Formats: sequence, structure tokens, C-alpha cells
Amino acid sequence: MIPSLHPLLKWAIDQNPLQIAGEDDMIIRSDRFLDLETPPELLNSWITPVPHFFVRNHMHEPSSLEAQTWQLTIRGEVENPLVLTLRDLRKMTSHSVLNTLECAGNGRAFHQPHVPGIQWQKGAVGTAKFSGPALRDVLQKAGVKANGRHVMFRGLDEIPGKVPPFVRSIPIEKAIDDDTLIATHMNGSPLTKHHGFPARALVPGWVGAASCKWLSEITVLEKEFDGFFMKPGYRYPNHPLKPGDPLNADDSHILTSLNVKSIIVSPTDESLLKSGPLHVRGVAWAGEADVVKVEISTDSGVTWQLAKLGRDHAKYAWRMWSHSWEPDKPGVYAIWSRATDSQGRTQPDFAEWNPGGYLYSAIDKVKINVQAS
Amino acid sequence: MFRPHSLLVLLVCFCCGAPLHGQSLDLPSGPLQAKVTTACTECHSSRIIVQQRLGKGAWTKEVDKMVKWGALVPAADRDLFIEYLSSSFSPEKARAEMPRSVKSH
Repeated sequence: MIPSLHPLLKWAIDQNPLQIAGEDDMIIRSDRFLDLETPPELLNSWITPVPHFFVRNHMHEPSSLEAQTWQLTIRGEVENPLVLTLRDLRKMTSHSVLNTLECAGNGRAFHQPHVPGIQWQKGAVGTAKFSGPALRDVLQKAGVKANGRHVMFRGLDEIPGKVPPFVRSIPIEKAIDDDTLIATHMNGSPLTKHHGFPARALVPGWVGAASCKWLSEITVLEKEFDGFFMKPGYRYPNHPLKPGDPLNADDSHILTSLNVKSIIVSPTDESLLKSGPLHVRGVAWAGEADVVKVEISTDSGVTWQLAKLGRDHAKYAWRMWSHSWEPDKPGVYAIWSRATDSQGRTQPDFAEWNPGGYLYSAIDKVKINVQAS
Repeated sequence: MFRPHSLLVLLVCFCCGAPLHGQSLDLPSGPLQAKVTTACTECHSSRIIVQQRLGKGAWTKEVDKMVKWGALVPAADRDLFIEYLSSSFSPEKARAEMPRSVKSH
């Protein structure tokens, strides 16, 4: 680091695409639009620090956003259309939700055959405390009409070319859930621009795409919004497809809650380790369900041992877990983890292939090489 | 403190085209390199392209989708684009390793 910068140096550094304001040691899947993945070894805390929280942008971030002039419009099937400022939101009762946010395409890189899209591996996921007014309270102010069944979010993403706008909707039942927020804060600080400043939707337990960033408009609709990012985007086939087959959008459903999933964050894949006791650690989450157990196998799935779940626990937040194990002798080992949730779902041996590469949740595996001490 | 030799190192790096920590990725050389770079990076980073591992059918869908979304691909070049992308970024190629961001604060 250069402690004090000459203006020319400052300009040069600003042009370096590997230096991203507010982000630290993130895997750059794309620098324009910004798509940053957290390396698994940094997912080692219950709350993910903002500089290590994954970033998923579909388009360019808004080039100018001022807290003083930003407005949020609420309209559509409501009795009293509203325009709220950030100050108006701050006057409302603030709620906090600890939520594990995961991109629907997390793990896409592991699908075979490969599917197009950002090739996320393990780290398009993180857990943060999101705070702000309940969406329900804002909708109540506007007075949702009886025919208002879906709530659409529009953000201020800057749209390149003729790309369809990133506009999505959620059903009214989820919109008026106590825990669905218009979040203005993340981990106790105002949202950073990469995470949707000044306000984003926070739809807990659901795929990240539901939680629209840089929110500018909320429209109550009679029917589900049917733009590109609702159909054919972010849909899952109703019936398993043969790998390589296209999606029939009319025989598919929109993604909502996340799958049950665990990942190993330590040791990392392909680690070289000295022989001796090993502390295997990871995180597990299940969208709107609870993680009830995590199991570890060190013999390629022949036997499984229960991992110890961490004490930190919140409705939509992941559980940390750990497992102590000592390899018998030097050699190459595979460590597998699988989670089971309160709905009885268990991570499968293989993820179901789908053309969007969504909801990858196969048993996680890391290979380690143990050497004599 | 600003150190003059730091500026010198930076200027040398930029003049030589050498990256300070690594710059945007170049697409593979070939007759289509410049055209594909221009058409695609108008909107997004080349990193989005280099991480894909797709067969010809999937690249065809991607190119046609991007044209619909505003990518300027002359009709006469469509098949050449598909050929270039599917041979450069096919499923058989090794996975692309992406760099990490450097601390900025």
C-alpha cells in the first residue's frame, strides 16, 4: 500500500480493476458488472463482514445516488400512492433480521454440463444483520387494495443496451411477512453502494434475486410480474430435466426459498496439512427452514458422523458447525459434509441439473493431502 | 508520504502495458479478437466471457440473446463469433481461475 498518494498515482490506482472500494480479498468473477465471490475460508464467522460479503450485480450500479434526493415510490393497487424519502423511512420503526443471503446461482460452476452465467463456486453466500422498516408497514401506509396480490420491486440499476430491466415481484403473503424489510442498514451501518444504498428489499430465506437493490419503486400488482427476470429468468423446471435440455418456462416455477446446504470452509480444497488432529469447520443453511443436523464423512460417504452445531442461531441465518477428526496416517483424504433441515430435506449426492444452474446443493467435498509431521 | 520512485514504477508499468496488479483480461488472439472484444465489452467485462465453458449450441443461444439485448454483431459475423467463442471457451478447457481484489481501505 502506498500511504499517501500523489494525484497521478491516485488516478492510476483508481483505474486498477482489482481494487474495489469497500471490498477486500474477494474473488472477482466480473469487474463490470461487479460480481464478487467470497473465498470459502473467509466464511468463518456467523456474521459476514461487509467487505467480505458477496456482491451480485446484473447491471451497472447507479452512477449517482444522493441520500438527500433519493425517493421511493409506492403505487399500483394501493389506496394512497406514496413517495417516501430516506428521512421518512428513518422515522418508521426499524426491525432487524439476521439473514443468510445466497445467490440462486451459487455453485453454478459445479453443474455438468456447464451452464452459462456467472460461474459461482461456493461463496455467493453470506450472513448479515439487515435493518430497516418492515415492508408491511410501508404497504399499510399505502393501503393495499383487495386485488393487490404481488409486490414488484424496481431498482436504479443502469441498464446497458436493450437488456430488460431487473424488475422482480414477490407474492403479497411474503411481502407482508414480519421479517420482509426495506433494509437501509447492513451489520449496523448504512448499506454500501455495492449492497444497494440507500435501500434494498430484504426477502429473508429466499434467493438473493428477490432482494432488489437500489430500490426506487414498489408497485402492487394483481398478478405476478412477468418480465425477463421472472420468466424465463430465475425459474426451476417442475420436473427433472435431462442434462442439456432447455427449460420450458410454462412447465417451471419461480425460485423462492433456498435449498438446504452446507459447505466446508476449513480446511480448504487441496490443502496440504501436517498429520495430527484436524478441526473441520463450515456453515449450513436452509432458507426458510432450520438446519437440524450436519454430518461429516471422511470415507467417501460410507459412514457419517454428526458435526457439532454452533450456538449462534436465528430463524433465517446459517449455523456454524465443526467436527474434530484425526487422519490415521499421511495420505490423500476427502472430507464430505451434508446438512438436513426441519423439512426433512438432506443434501443429495448430486445436484439436479437445470439450465439456469440454480439452487446447487450437492454434498460438499474437499480433498486434503496429509503429510507426516 | 509520496515517494518519487513509486510514481516512476507506476509510469513504467503503464508505459510498458504491464499490469500493476493485473488489468482486464484480453480475449484470445485471432481474427475475431478485436470484433468480439468491441461488441461484448461495450457492456460488460471480458471476465464474464472467459469464465464460460460452453458448447456450440449454448454459445449460439448466448450470442443471439446478446444481439437481442443490443450487442452490435454484424449479421455476417454471427457465425464467426459463435465459432470463435465456442472454440476458445469450450467445456474441454480448464476452469478459469479468477483473481482476488486487493485491499482498498
